[in-house]
Formats: sequence, C-alpha cells, structure tokens
Amino acid sequence: MSRMPRKKLAATARSLSGVARRNPGLAIAALLPVLLLLVFFFILPLMQLLQLSMLARQPTLQQPAPGYSIANYARIFQDSFYLQMTATSIMLGVCTTFATVVIAYPVAYYITRISGWERTLISVACLLPIFVNVIVSILGWYILLLPFGVIQQALAALGMVSGPVQLLRTFPALVAVLTYEHLPFAVLILVSSLQAIPTDKINAARLLGASVPRIVRSIIIPLTMPGLVASVILVFSLSTSSYLAPILIGAQRIPVLPLSIFSYGTELQNWPLAAALAFVLLVLVVAISYAFSRAMNRISRRGEWEMV
Amino acid sequence: MLGLRIFVYLVVALMLLPILITFPVALNAMPRISFPPAGLSPRWFLSILSDQVLLGSIVRSFWLALAAAIVAVAISLPCAFAIQRGKFRGREFLEMLITSPRMIPQIVLVLALLVYFESLGLAEKFVGLVLAHLVITIPFAFRTLLVSVATMDRRLEWSSAVLGANALQTFLRIMAPQIKTGLIASFIFTFILSFNNVTLALFLSGIGQRTLPVEMFTRMNVAGMTPVIPAISFVLALVGVMLFVILDRTIGVYRYLVGRE
Repeated sequence: MSRMPRKKLAATARSLSGVARRNPGLAIAALLPVLLLLVFFFILPLMQLLQLSMLARQPTLQQPAPGYSIANYARIFQDSFYLQMTATSIMLGVCTTFATVVIAYPVAYYITRISGWERTLISVACLLPIFVNVIVSILGWYILLLPFGVIQQALAALGMVSGPVQLLRTFPALVAVLTYEHLPFAVLILVSSLQAIPTDKINAARLLGASVPRIVRSIIIPLTMPGLVASVILVFSLSTSSYLAPILIGAQRIPVLPLSIFSYGTELQNWPLAAALAFVLLVLVVAISYAFSRAMNRISRRGEWEMV
Repeated sequence: MLGLRIFVYLVVALMLLPILITFPVALNAMPRISFPPAGLSPRWFLSILSDQVLLGSIVRSFWLALAAAIVAVAISLPCAFAIQRGKFRGREFLEMLITSPRMIPQIVLVLALLVYFESLGLAEKFVGLVLAHLVITIPFAFRTLLVSVATMDRRLEWSSAVLGANALQTFLRIMAPQIKTGLIASFIFTFILSFNNVTLALFLSGIGQRTLPVEMFTRMNVAGMTPVIPAISFVLALVGVMLFVILDRTIGVYRYLVGRE
C-alpha cells in the first residue's frame, strides 16, 4: 500500500470525493433515466390532458382539431349539479381530515412513548392500510356495514336499534372508511414529527413546573405544527381525490368529483369533460392545501413567539 | 396515560376489525357474504387455487410489481446519489420534480396517461402499465434511497480510496453494505405499493388483463360476489402483515416510510 504512487492515490481520493462536482456529465447521466421517464410519462401526459380539457369535443378523423374553448369549464361552473358535487367533495375531505388527525395525533404520541413488541403491534395495526390492499379494507368495511351485518347486529344486541338500519351509502360511513384508509399517513408523519421534539425541552418545562396540558399546549403542539400541517394537507388531498370507497361504500349515491371523472373517463368516454373535471379537482386540492399551509404558517409563527 | 392507552387500543381494535372480519366470512359454507357464516368450510380458500381468472390476475400483479420495483430502484439509486452528492444548481428543483407525482391525485394522473397512451398505442399494453407504475413508485423509491445515501459515512470511502482501493472495490465493499438495508426497504416498499395499486390498472389494463386488485374491485362492484374474495383478501392481509413485521423488526418502518433523515 505504501508503495502506491502518490499521484495515483490523490487521483483516487479525488475521484471519490464528489464525482458529480468534478464531472457534471456523470450527474446528468445518473439523473437522465428518471428525468426522461417523468417528462414523457408525467409532464407531457398532464399537458395533453390540459389541452384536451379545452376542447369542446373530441377530435375525430373528419374534424382533427375542433378548436379551443372553455366550454367544459363553463359547463362545470354553471351546472348546479357539478357545484354541489364539488361542495360534497370538499366536505368529505374536510370531515375525513378532521377525524383522521384527531385520531392519529394521540396514537402517534403513544407510539413515541413505547418500544419493542408493543410498538410493533400498534404500528402494524395503524399502518395496516398501507401494507394491505385498499380493496381488502373496503371489503371488510362493506361486510361490517351491510344491512343485517356485523355493526347492525352489535347495535341490536345492545338494544340500541331495532329493524334495518341504513349504513352503507351514507355520508358518515364514507367518512369512516376514508378515515380508516388515510390514518396511516397521518400517523407516520406525526410519529416522525413527535420524535423530533428534543426531550430536554419537555424536561425543562417540567422542571419549571408546567402541567401536562400546559406542556402539550405550549411545547408539543407548536413543535409538531409542521407535521400537523403536512398530514392535514396529505390526508385532505388523498381523501378528496379517492373514488374507490365512494364507488363501493357510497354506491355512487354520494356524488363526488372523482366519481364523475371515473365515469366520464371510463364508461361514458367523454374525455374532454373528464379532463376538465380532473383539472378542477387538481386546482381545488392544490389551492386549498396551499391556502391552509399559508394560514397555518402565520398562526404557528405567532405561536412560536409566544413560546419564546 | 391510562385514558390514552384505552383510546389507542380501541383504535387498534377498529383498525384490525375490518381485516379480521374477512376470515370468518371466507369460511362460509354457502356462496354468499354473511356474518356469522352459514356453516364452516374451507372451500373458498381452496377455490382460490381453482379460479383460473383469479390466479392469472395474481401472476400478472406479481410480475408487474416485480418489474416496477426492480426498475424503480435501479434508476432511482443513481438519482439519489446525484442529488445528495452533486454540487450543481437546481438540486432542490430536481428533487421536487422527482417527488412531484405523489402530489397529483392518481385519478388525474391516470386519466392523463390513458389519453396519452391512446395516442401512442400503449393503452391496454403491459409495458404501458409498467411505465405508469414507475411514475408513481419512483418518488417513494427515490426518497427512501435518499435517506440511505445521506446517512452513509463518507470517511469510510475516503479511507478506502486512500488505502488504494479502486472505485469498484470501494463501491462493492464499502458503499454497498451501507445502503443494503435501504435498497431492500425501498424494493419491498415499491413492490407493495405497485402490487396494491388499483387506480392505474383499472384504467390502463386491457380486457382480460386485470391485475388482482382490479379483479377484486370488479367482482365487488358487480353483484354476486362469492366468499372467494374475502378468502383472497385474508390471504393478502396475512402476507401484508408479515412483510410489515419483517420490515419493522429489521429496518424500522418509520425511518424509511417517512423518508426523512
């Protein structure tokens, strides 16, 4: 080893300390496959969809280019059916997000306080919907909610109801299933954000005589605010754009935007209208998420000042 | 703390209930979905093995997930190195671009891909489905690998170089062992994500080419579902739980799923 020429040694060290800096071509080569894939199968398709949404009708052989218009968007915003649908979608997203975060926060807090097999058990249960197919959990809920199914039998045994109860195809049932589906995402984000709280801050507060609610209010919640905001945004955008539960649990009785995108896109084949609805959904989700994170930023910054 | 504990175990019970309920329903002796089951029999579990359409969809889902996971990890790894170690401008932008497919609602993305594939002649083709799965799995594979690359100890590589190892030796003996767990985690996670995806295959798979989740969805959506669907559901749930426990006890799920250092 000592006989190795100095020059070669230095060259080898250089080649490993920042390959990309020395050779930008290599970095480009490393990035190229993913970038090409994203350009051709992510960005271009979305641009084509945007273009399609501005066509009043699909191009045919006789009329290859029907000309651009905002007819599809106008149709969506003038029709009270679609406006109602948009409102239902937002309502569904808001209810699901609220329920999910309210359940996920205490669970995530508990997970950070335990270890070993108990932690694995609780993690398995709460993260199950990520690892098990969504259809499986929807099927489970379907069985539970069926007329004369498990939930109704349990309620009847407790003497709370008699006769058939309508559970499937109701808004609360849909919120419950969507909450179930999206709880893991909130738990994951909140666990990592709660774990990042330095324990000496909590110890210091305890030493200074702060009560548990005070510690939660003044330290834990402000410090996990970014995680809370992130999980709210993620759960909101996922639940607003989900359509499997609305099809299988809501049985299409609760009209939401993704449902009509699905039916216009697959069954009815009215792609321009489906495309316009898709962009309405996309803009809605992005705009609400952005507005929420801006608002929370302002509030939580004030919270930090109070804390200091 | 006791109140919290009761609440958490209540949530745990509610999370497990919908999955566990598929088991007694699948044991039904009658061809209908009911609880309590009308007579016990393992016939629906056995009928998975004789249901050619279902078996075909399982095989198709397996190959799809395998192809997507292998390619996603293989092309995301160099990306993760370039973004983590490169010193060029626009790294934050590229990182955002690569992870952006997970910000777009999948139903929007799949509609775009359906229209795009129709014009390219890729619709209802297996390769189109693989490409679509790559778009949605790469953000996760990339984030997971980025964590691994970021936590590598650079000093070991420098020592290796100083001691005269060439780049290949350094990669195989020093770098590969350090990112091994990250690679495995990212592969398993990508595989699960792709295997479980319903949306993409629902729009993009051809007639008679359904993947397992789409086949299950279709049988649930049209009336007359037999308990073979709860049976396959329970089997899938068992496999999912096993994979989860293995991942959590060996690698730590939180670290890799959240994708943060």
